[in-house]
Parts: sequence; structure tokens; C-alpha cells
Amino acid sequence: MSRAVTIVIDGREVAATEGEMLHDAAKRGDVEIPVFCYEPKLGEPVGACRMCLVEIEGIPKLQTSCSTPVRDGMVVHTRTDQVKHAQSAVVEFLLVNHPLDCPVCDKGGECPLQDITMGWGPGKSRMTDPKRHFQKPVELSPLVAIDRERCILCYRCVRFSQEVSEDSQLQLLERGDRTFVGTFDDRPYVDPFHGNITDLCPVGALTSYTYRFRARPWDIEQAGTVCTLCPSQCNVSFTVRDEQVKRAIVRDNPDVDDGWLCDRGRYGFEMFAAEERVRGPRLRGGEANWQEAIDKAAEALRAGGAASAAIVGDASNEEGYLVQRIAREALGSPHVESRTSRGPGRETLLRLAQPALSARVRDLDDADAILVLGTDPLHSSPILDLRIRKAMRRNGAKLALATDRPTALDGGAVAAVRYAPGQATHFLAELTGALATVDTPSSLATRRSDLDGLSPEASSSSRAKRSEGVSTVADLLRGAENIVVIWGERIGREGEETIGALLEVAGALDLASKDGSGLLEIPELTNARGLREAGCLPDAGPGFSATTPGKDTEQIRAALESGELKTLLLFGVDPLRDFPDTEAWKRALAAADQIICFSTFETATTAMADVVLPLETHAEKDGTVTHPDGRLQRVRPSASRPGEIRPNWGVLAELALALDLDTGVTSQPSALAALINAVPFYAGIDDAAIAGRGIRWQDRDAASSFPSPASAATSFPAPDEAGESGATGTPSSLATRRSDVEGLTPEALSSSRAKRSEGAPASPLLLGTYRDLWAGPITELNPPLKFLQPQQRVELSPADAERLELRSGDEVSVAQNGSSVRAQVQIRERIEQGVCFLVEGTAEGNANALLNGAPVEVQISKELA
Amino acid sequence: MPETRLLLEHAEDPALRTLAGYKGYGGYATLEKAYRELEADELLKELEESGLRGRGGAGFSMGKKASFLPRGEMAKYLCCNADESEPGAFKDRELMQRNPHQLIEGIAIAAIAADAGHAFIFIRGEYDSQADILDAAVAEAYEAGYLGKDILGSRRDLELVVHRGAGAYICGEETALLDALEGKRGNPRLKPPFPAVQGLYGGPTLINNVETLSNVPRIVAHGAEWFKGFGTEQSPGTKVVSVSGRVRRPGNYEVELGIPTRELIYDLAGGPLEGCEIKAFYPGGSSSPVLTADEGLDLPYSFEAMAEAGSMLGSGSIIVADDTVSIPHMALRTARFYHHESCGKCTPCREGTNWTVKMLERVVRGEATPMDLDIVASVQENIIGNCLCVLGDSMAMPVGAMVRKFRDEFEAVIAAATEASRVAVVQGPAETLGAAT
Repeated sequence: MSRAVTIVIDGREVAATEGEMLHDAAKRGDVEIPVFCYEPKLGEPVGACRMCLVEIEGIPKLQTSCSTPVRDGMVVHTRTDQVKHAQSAVVEFLLVNHPLDCPVCDKGGECPLQDITMGWGPGKSRMTDPKRHFQKPVELSPLVAIDRERCILCYRCVRFSQEVSEDSQLQLLERGDRTFVGTFDDRPYVDPFHGNITDLCPVGALTSYTYRFRARPWDIEQAGTVCTLCPSQCNVSFTVRDEQVKRAIVRDNPDVDDGWLCDRGRYGFEMFAAEERVRGPRLRGGEANWQEAIDKAAEALRAGGAASAAIVGDASNEEGYLVQRIAREALGSPHVESRTSRGPGRETLLRLAQPALSARVRDLDDADAILVLGTDPLHSSPILDLRIRKAMRRNGAKLALATDRPTALDGGAVAAVRYAPGQATHFLAELTGALATVDTPSSLATRRSDLDGLSPEASSSSRAKRSEGVSTVADLLRGAENIVVIWGERIGREGEETIGALLEVAGALDLASKDGSGLLEIPELTNARGLREAGCLPDAGPGFSATTPGKDTEQIRAALESGELKTLLLFGVDPLRDFPDTEAWKRALAAADQIICFSTFETATTAMADVVLPLETHAEKDGTVTHPDGRLQRVRPSASRPGEIRPNWGVLAELALALDLDTGVTSQPSALAALINAVPFYAGIDDAAIAGRGIRWQDRDAASSFPSPASAATSFPAPDEAGESGATGTPSSLATRRSDVEGLTPEALSSSRAKRSEGAPASPLLLGTYRDLWAGPITELNPPLKFLQPQQRVELSPADAERLELRSGDEVSVAQNGSSVRAQVQIRERIEQGVCFLVEGTAEGNANALLNGAPVEVQISKELA
Repeated sequence: MPETRLLLEHAEDPALRTLAGYKGYGGYATLEKAYRELEADELLKELEESGLRGRGGAGFSMGKKASFLPRGEMAKYLCCNADESEPGAFKDRELMQRNPHQLIEGIAIAAIAADAGHAFIFIRGEYDSQADILDAAVAEAYEAGYLGKDILGSRRDLELVVHRGAGAYICGEETALLDALEGKRGNPRLKPPFPAVQGLYGGPTLINNVETLSNVPRIVAHGAEWFKGFGTEQSPGTKVVSVSGRVRRPGNYEVELGIPTRELIYDLAGGPLEGCEIKAFYPGGSSSPVLTADEGLDLPYSFEAMAEAGSMLGSGSIIVADDTVSIPHMALRTARFYHHESCGKCTPCREGTNWTVKMLERVVRGEATPMDLDIVASVQENIIGNCLCVLGDSMAMPVGAMVRKFRDEFEAVIAAATEASRVAVVQGPAETLGAAT
């Protein structure tokens, strides 16, 4: 491992780690060495700008401190005449072709080139010749402008594109002083992370159209908060002018985001000012004042009483905690949920949340093997996509994927196993089986040679391919020391046994006993973990305490429809867009006596509500959220709340009071304190402990009070099947248990269709759905991102497209049992035969309309409904 | 003094290009011996002891460079740098054109020493016919079993690929060559790590010039002692020197290192043209600081003597300037070449070459003052030693030397051009207007 050493910089002793770059050691020793191209986040140094030249005793030539590893006893000079001369020369060279248009440049005032020129430059120009000219500014993308005259060719943006987001679209074109940054054939730079280049640019060459000419560094304030637009919970800093957000930039937190931000988080703030924003309380008759609205809401809830239900979504821990108290204590209703459909019960959740079993985001960096299961991080937690790429590129981590739909990470994976939509359980059973059998190399080889003999059309070929994929995954995991399994919450929609199977795999791999290994969930909602821990579950209160069991989301819907439940409190959720089975939800909402809906924007759901109350965004909110890896983070108010909006914790406390429940919450700190008191394993955490970087509760002593699951066995008896199988889920029993669903795997489906296909050209495809990164208000209500709004499209394999006589771009109707959506055909090579995919959450043709909680088969036809 | 033809021995025989012709003169015998009898360590020792210095420009000991490669089982590579692009250098072209098998034999033997299983000849794209010749020779060598799998039953494999560059001077820089070979933009890499440790595709890589590798068969055949019998102690062996510029018989001459430079220029290359006098010369290609006739003509032509005189032997290419040559124009021409070829990766080279060209253009246009010459000189100082690779220095050293050594001439050019432009201003407009209408 790296050894602590001492080096001498400018006569001062500086403690350093052997092998680290001299620039970093100097920085920690409070010696500033100027740099332009060096940025450790981008990987290996390139030594291109030559700004950081220093003198090292024993080496005749000046060395770049960004690329010189520290050795014990190294003696370094950064302020000798020779060094000053060289640094001043480099600044002079950089300015030879720089336009020095600082007075009209957005970077002015926060520009490293300005600062370094002032600090290390010659102060006077000897350059009298004409400078190079480019057309400027030009659109690098619809969001980023490039001014090539200002560019100092530091390589940062190009390295980001090539080595971080790995899209390789940005290139240096031409050479010498004619070099410029651009894309092939001047195509727009399209990448969900590309906004980061505006943060990286050390000059005003790359600027966001959303921020150009909006503010100056001396009339803005920076306010740190946490982005709650997805479960990644990246740390951001809002640039605020006149109490309004003008820009979002990264606030490097290696434990969370590694210093990157996706474009959703970066440009999402523009929707805070959308026309559709709920700006004040509203009753069915029209706008109302707060008193009327709270009275009306209290009245509706009181009328519902124990026949009320609450579903929480976009909420802080404190808000979730208060909502469940209102439901449980003021109304006597156990029906509290925070999930979009069904999910595992308390016992399973307890097992999943065991501190020893949970992986940190940082563990990805040192993982030997990463398994991504049932989720595409690019869509559901984008920043993890970059983190996984980094683990592979820099540290040689091996990646395996098991998903229904092809993912953005397939290219770099050792194995990408495809299972049919809804069949993650089946994959997990296969994996458990494969982990139990040890493959000898020869048997593997035989299996491979068998495969070679199969024609691609052979019906068993894809099955064989998958079983080889599964054993490759098993071999990889078996041979790895540190393993992180990233899994998508939505595999839990298949049923409780899926999570049981996941826990079985975790047990087989002994993840809990290895510090760098564990499970990392990507939930459906940003603060899913925090809400579960705050008690927004039908069978668990704060801290997973046992409670009277209530109804889960699907049961709430059914009970509303049947009239068993009367009143519905929705907090930051939009069932008509985000929950499966839109038609059933419409019926349920129509059947409800009273709906109280807290919402950020006007939605189809708010249109059906009796009381609509406004929500704060993460630029306005004060509260905490919990990262999927257990890190409590603080969302801080940075901008003013538009219209009549009030702090949500206050509104909930007032609503509780109106229902004769005194929560004792009078401020944000008291709301946090109440939550912390209620959750034993959070004990002792306060704002100061959370501070700017957050704190992982598992890393504190109080974690020992995390409740143990009732049964200590690693294997999992599925409640509904335990009786019938009569045994715990050993690999073989799981495999048998799942064998009945074999008929739904794509290859079986296609072979069964092969029999049917003679007379039935429109045979069905199994439907898979996913939530696209850009589906929803983020693009619909956000002018700068509107161009990214996804249209509904149905993705299918070339073979199925040929059979159905469809071509890419065809308009079709995708129908199931009476419901149908319109979509455009997109043929994708990597999609398995027998399945197709639709996007959830789109404005038109939302795939949720076709889902009903069970595997769905759809008909695709060119006859549009 | 006549030439000492070792590398160019029998070069006049067109049959030398073919395998049969080469074998007729004893070719590939050394390779056979090496594959059958010699171990990698013995070869390395022989090469190191011979003192053979790289002929590509840096003059580093070839054997020592090969010994830097780590031992052990891993993919190692050998790259022959045939991207001869330095103005004034054309020796590799002749070596490849006339005796391709000598190079292939050298590569195959060096590959044993370096334990490399894959070798590449990176040849500049403009050397099209030479690349065709190499392709044909490589095919013959494969056919004869000197390349490919299990060479001569030794259980050693060697794949040799001739790769044509797309035309950039920078790709002759060893790490840029590697990037270009990998299919990337040909930009130099940061060193360390040196290619011997982490080179092509991340594997240990030995990179040598065509002439260096062409020397290998003879050294292995006759031994290090024999080789050291030629040349000087610090510069053993012979050197193919490209002599060009204002001389009567420009061309390649193979001589023992250390002969007086005067003999090379006067006796072999025929000396200056009728009625002219030699003013200065580049001793080692356009990137070496120019030497005045007084400084340089009587120096021995060796690595050490040229270094001592403040210049370098480089690739061994002499460009002669006589009294008809304008040094400021020569400086501009040199600077333009390096400005055009700078890759743009590091600041001092990218901006320094560009700025120097702009200033020198003003000098020859008469829009400069003597103070600008100070700036030109200072810019060269600011480039030297501060760049990522040596391309920036390659302009700054000769241009700096020219400004320093021929300052009078620069000032005279400025004065004359200024005078001419003043006359043009006084007399010009009426005529120019008249001509335009």
C-alpha cells in the first residue's frame, strides 16, 4: 500500500503519500501550483498545458507537478526565478491566441485563466500580431455554446467525453494552433452528462445557453443542496441571483456523485418556474387561502378516518415521517405507502437493509466485480453509470449485467444476460444454481463447442447462450473478492420471492461479511430509502418498527375502487403518470370520496383532487433525504418559494394540529429531531453531523440498534409459497419453483409462437417497460430540455419486426386486453426475440396504461386505434 | 577519404532487394544463427557492448534501451520507426529501398533480444514505393520462414506488419507513433512511463530507427569488438549521412563516425557550388542548431563533438547554406515547418511556433524592429525545455541559434525591407491604383 512520506516544498516540510501527484501533495501543504489541464477526476494526467512546471532538485529540467509522483525526501521549488520564468512564459503563450474579451465573457470573475494570469503571468503583453479567428459562438449542442477563440486547448472537455462519459463525441480537430474542439461532421453533442464540460472549462469557451449573460459572479450567491430529481442524490450548488436559481453546478462529493452531474440535475431547475407549478393551495372550487385549504383537508381526512390512505413520493424524511404520523396517529389508518406498486414486506426489507449487507457508492471504485441487476443506471440513477464506467476503466472492475432490456453499459460488460420481462427471479434462481456448481474449464469448453454447432435460428440457441451467460456471471462473482450488486427496486414487482432470491445470492456470495461488498439498490423514487426508514410502509413504522399491517399501493387502489377506503392523501406522487395500470387508478381516484394532493405541478392527478397543496422543490426545501446507500443528506433552501408556497413540514404540522395531533414540530430542526427520535438507528444524528457531505447511518455506532430480522436463516421462505413447497428456498427448490414460468421466457415464447405463427401473424410479444431518463415533467415543463422529450416508441428485435412486417419509424398501436397506446417502431439488434419495450411516464402513450401487475403480452398492429 | 560502406554494402546491386539477392551476399545467416544458437541475454549483451547509438536523433544506446524492457511473460512489441520526416534526412529511405531484408533481419534479431512477438514498421505515408518494397520483402521473409510462427523450428513467433503513416511529422516522435499505430490521433504521450515499460497497447515496447536496426545483423555476425573498430569511442560504427543544400553532390554517404566534417561536405559531397562559400550548416537535420562554417567544418562528425559545439548529430543529416542563402528566410522556413507540424497538445510548442512564424514573417516583410528580434530570441528560450515532447525545441534551437549567430543579417534584412516598403509607400500608390483600374 501507499506509504506516508515527507517532501520539502519551498523550504517547508509537507506530508504526502508516496506515488501521489506532486500537485496534490502541494495543494494539501497549502502550496498553490497553477494548473489548467490537470483535473484528477478526469483520470491520468496529460501534462498538456505546462502551467505547473516546478523545479525538483536532482532533475535538470523543470517537471510538470501534475504528472510527477511524489518520492520520499523530494525537494521541490515552486517560486525560484527559473520556475517563475517558465510559468510566466506559459501564461504568455496561452494568451497569444486568447481574445482577452473578459468584459463580455461569462467566465469573467470566476475564470481560472484570469486568476492565473493575475497570479503568475507576465502582466504585460509582448504580442502584437493578429490572433486566430473562429466563428463564434456556435452551438455545440442545444444547451452548450462553444467559443473557440477563447479555448486554450486544455483537453478537459475532450477527456471528459472520451474517458468519463465514454461517448467519444468530442474530438480535437486539426492540429497545432489551428486545433479546435468539435464533433464529427459538426453534429450536435448529445449526451446526458455533457453539461459537465461547462464546469470543467477553465475559460469561457464552453458556456450553457441557460446561463449565458444571466448573471455576473459578483451578483450571485452559491447555495449548496442536494438534487432530488433521481435516487443518485447528487450534491449540487445552485447559483442564485435575486433569490432565483440561475444555474446548477457540481459540489464534488466522492461518496455520492464523484463530482459529476447529469443534465437532468443540471438543467432541471428551469422547470421550477413552469406555468404548471402549483403556487398556492386550491380547492375544487378554485384558489383558497391556507386556512381554508387546511381546514378542508383536515375535514376530508377526518371524514375518512381509518378508511384513509396516504401515499408518499417526492418527500423529505421529515415530510414522510409527518405524513405517516398523521395517517397512523391522527386517523388511525395503517395504510401508508411509498412505493409505486407492490414491494417486499417488513421482514424482507429488514434483511435487505442490514448494515453489513449494504454497499457504499464508494465501494464501486474498489470492486473487483459489479453485477447490475434489473435496472439500467443510465436511466434510473445516471451518475452510477459514470461510476461503474470509472471502476471498469481505471480499476479494472469486471461488470456483469442481468436485465430485461439492453443497457447503456452492455458494451463493457463481461456478460450481459437477458431475461424476459418479469423474470428476474428466474435468473436469480439460475444464478444461485450456477454458483453452487463448480465448472471445470473443460466442461465449459465442451459447452462452448456445443454452442458453435448451433445455428442462430435453433430454438435452444438463445437458451444455451443465456445459460452460458449465467455461468459466466457465476464464475466472475465466485472469483471476485469485492462484489457490489446494483439492483433495481422494480424487480420486487415480480413478488416477494424475487427479493428472497436476491438475498439468497447475496448469502451465497457472503456479501455481508466483506467490507467492500454489498447490495446497492436503485429505487424507483429519489428518497425511497429515507421514506421506508421514516415509516412510510404499510407494515412498518419509523425505524422499521412493527405496526398493524395496512394495505400496499395496489391494495389501496383496489380498496378505493371497491369503496373500502374513502379518503386518499397523495404527497408528491402522480399515480396517473407514474404508477402501473393507469385505467385502474383512474377508476380508483374517481371512486375516492376525497383526494388531498400535495404536488409540485398541475397533473392529471391534481385535476381529480379535492384539495391541492403546493410542494417545494429541492431549491426551496429544508429537510433531509437518505441516499440508497444510507447516507443522510441535507436539502437546503437556496431560492425563494414562488407564490403562496409554504414550507411543507410546517403545512403537515399544521394539518396534524387541525386533526388534534400535536407533533411538537415547530421548525425544520425540530422536525428532524422528531424523526431521529423515532428511528433508533439514526440516533444522535443532527444537522451538524449531516453537514455538507452527509453521513451514512451504517457508519455510526447507533447502527447496532438496527433491528434483526425475525428469522436468522439466510434462505428465504416466500410467505405465500412456503406452505406449498414446505421448505426454505434452496437453490434447487427455487429453480423448480420457477420452472413453471419457463413458458414465459423469450425463447420459449418464440418457439411456441413458431408453432402458432402459421395462421396467426399478429402473435403477441411479451411487454417490458422502463422509465426513460427524460420522460416526464423534466422535459415537458422545461423549455431548455424540451428537445429531449421522448416520444413513445416500441422497441423490438429485427426478427420480430420482419415477422410483423414492421420497419423502424412505422406508427403502430400496441394493445393489450382492450387498452392500447400509439408508438413508433424502433428496431434494435440487441433486443431478444419475443419481447418488446415501451417507455413509462411519457405524456402520450404512457406504457403504464398497459401494465396490470402481471406479465403482459401485447399485440402490435399497424391499424391505429 | 572514401566512404566506409557497411550498411550500404552492395547497395548498387538491384538484386539486393530480393531475398535471393540478399542471401547471395550472406543475408539471413546471422538470423539463422541467432535463432538456433543465441539466447536473448547474449544478444542483449552484444548489442549493449557494441555501443550502438540510436540513429533516429536522440543517440541513446540501443542495447541499453532494449535492456529496459521488463522480463517475463507478457505481450511485448518492437516498432521500427521509419517515419523519416525531418527536413534534410533521407537515409532511411535509401536503406529500405535498396536493402529491405537487412532491416527485416535486424528486426527479427532485435525481437529475440526484446522478446517481442509482434513487430511493426511504421513508415511515413509518402514513402509509398519504399513501403511496397518492404511489403514484398516481408512477404518473401514469411515465405522463407524467417517470419511467422515457429521460426526455423525455434518455437519463437514473430509477426511483422508494415504500417503506413497518414503523414505527420509528429508521428516520428516515438510515443505519438505508438498512438498513431493504435489508431488514435498521433499525439505524444507523457513520459514516464517510457515505451520500454508501457508502450504499444500498454505493453513493453522497443522502438528503434531503421538505420539502428539495420546495424543489428552485422553486429551480431561480427561481434561488438569488430563494430567498435569503426568510429570513435563514444560514437562507434558507421553512419549514413544525408548531405543536402548548397553542395555539388548532395546524397547519402556512409562514413565512419568521427571523420572531419569538412571531408564529408567537401570531399564526398563536392563542396560548395561554383563561386560560393559555405556560411553555415545544420549538422543533424533541421532541428539541430546551425553551426557557422568557422565553428563546424573542422569538427569531427560524431555525437560527442557536435554536442560539445552546442549542436547535435541528430539523425545525421547535413544541410548546407552558402553565402547566397538568407539566414532570416531560412529561419522562417524552418519555423514554418515546425508550426505546420506542431500537434498542438502542449502550450509552448503550439503557441510558440505560431508566434515565432508571425514575428519572422514581419522581420522579412520589414515590419519589425530590432526589439522584435529580442522577443524572437526570448520566445525560443521560453520554449526550450518546457514542452511535452521535443518538437518545440526542434524549432526553438535552430531558430534561436540563427538569431544569436546571425543577428547582423536579421537586422540588415529588417533595414532593407523597411527601406523597400518606405519606397513602396512613396512611389507605390499611384502605380498600384493605375494598375488596378
